[in-house]
Amino acid sequence: MKNIYIYLGSLFLVLGSIFTACGPDARLDLVGNIIGSAPRTDVRFADSEKYNAEHPFVTIKAPVENYRVYVCTDTHITTDFYNWQNFIRAYRADLLCPVALHLGDIVDASNHYPDVVNSFNEVPSNPLKPDTIMLVAGNHDICFKQWDEYLENFKTSVYYFIVETPLGQKDLFIMYDSADGTLGKKQLQWMRNTLEWASKQNFRHIVAGSHTHFFMRDNSQGIATNYPIEETYTLLRLFQSHGVDILFTGHSHSREVTLFDELTCIIVDSMTDEDKKPAYLIAIMGETIDYEFVNLPIKL
Amino acid sequence: MLLFRVHLLLFSLLLAPMAIAQVQLGDTAYSISLHAGYGHNLTYGSMANFDIDAFMPINQHFEMQANVRMSTANVHTMGVQLRPKFALPVGEMYIEDRLMARFVARDQVNEFLHAISLGYRMQYVNVQFGLINRVMMPLPYERNTLDKYIVEPFQLLYRVEGFVRPVTSPWNIAIAISNADNYMIERPWTPMLYLGGWYDVNEHWRVRLSGKYKNAGMFHMNAHYYAAEVRVGGEYRF
Repeated sequence: MKNIYIYLGSLFLVLGSIFTACGPDARLDLVGNIIGSAPRTDVRFADSEKYNAEHPFVTIKAPVENYRVYVCTDTHITTDFYNWQNFIRAYRADLLCPVALHLGDIVDASNHYPDVVNSFNEVPSNPLKPDTIMLVAGNHDICFKQWDEYLENFKTSVYYFIVETPLGQKDLFIMYDSADGTLGKKQLQWMRNTLEWASKQNFRHIVAGSHTHFFMRDNSQGIATNYPIEETYTLLRLFQSHGVDILFTGHSHSREVTLFDELTCIIVDSMTDEDKKPAYLIAIMGETIDYEFVNLPIKL
Repeated sequence: MLLFRVHLLLFSLLLAPMAIAQVQLGDTAYSISLHAGYGHNLTYGSMANFDIDAFMPINQHFEMQANVRMSTANVHTMGVQLRPKFALPVGEMYIEDRLMARFVARDQVNEFLHAISLGYRMQYVNVQFGLINRVMMPLPYERNTLDKYIVEPFQLLYRVEGFVRPVTSPWNIAIAISNADNYMIERPWTPMLYLGGWYDVNEHWRVRLSGKYKNAGMFHMNAHYYAAEVRVGGEYRF
């Protein structure tokens, strides 16, 4: 009975969103919900590949063998960026962290990319370490025709990079674009090719990161959409069969850890300022990948 | 594990002699139908589907339906629907208990679905709402332990269907929106659109033509074509 109430409530939310999507402060893109207003996945993939062709994938040097990666998602920045700046301070202060990941929905709706950049630059950088944060686009980052703005600021949403430890061990990080709930034909082929190549290399770990999560194990995700069921299984099996150790996603705003065969799928909590339990994740990249969730102080 | 396989075998044997039909108010004849179709989605590419369906109106208060789909995408489906029904002054109310097994052999995953829904159908409209329970099971079984079964409980099932003529007409056109059909059940936020029709050639034979369209990214604010399907077939009504 509880679930019926939840779904009826969700239906009202959908209807409510239809009406609220038309106002000047709209947060939900009605047109995008029905016919889509952002460039298709294949177009966005081509844009990312164009940048990648001119800017080869990077290798980042880790300071120690057991380095740390900070992972956050769903900051939904408007004019508030309290949690976002706390996250930046945290990963910049950690000398064992060579790279941080943001898994999408960095902005909430249109006109807030300048707030993201300005808030990022406001936090003092750490001269003792490189300052690298890797991003992918989420659905909020491209709705309301914001893809061009995303590209202007962050250049690409499909890429990989390698982190190399002092003893020469290499970990591969694959970041991919799931901002409209499907990889599309071309990006899926890119993923197959990349994983085929990666499985023949001697990577210590393979990590994947994207916005959209795979499972709908409870009602916590509200009306956030998953992949179509066909793509869910294909991607899971593709990752699992090519040795991906761990997959980080966001989108549902609700922490979840699921083991699919031998693939660990983690949904990281959201970091919106309205969130009652904002959190990020620290992955400890050693011989195994350990992780811990870190709760952020709530904005008062 | 052996017990599970025996259950699976019994389930398969139960479905084997059955075949499908679209269910509607006033269907009182047993029927078998065969359909062939072309499907496309962004993940699998093109595929051909072959469907066998059976409809069995056991008596005025109970009907059964069974569906089998074989696909060149190497995804195969078996399902059975049990439907107690109650005549009302206008239309008919029904409870549908649906079991479905999908063998996603291409990705080595089995999917088992159970749905219970409440429906109301009239001459021009069919409306159905319910809950779905989905179990995902990576293969092979030997590698699995209980913690590797993934359960997605209590998702919403819905179907809203309209007809341009009374459903007892010898020809008709129907349009529907639903997250479920006889061969797959999607998450609630991935609705599928259907357009189809039928023509009664004679007392026993009916010809059907239908199409399906599915988006990715609806309620993701980035809706996007994902899949489409066209199927044509014949139904023999005893």
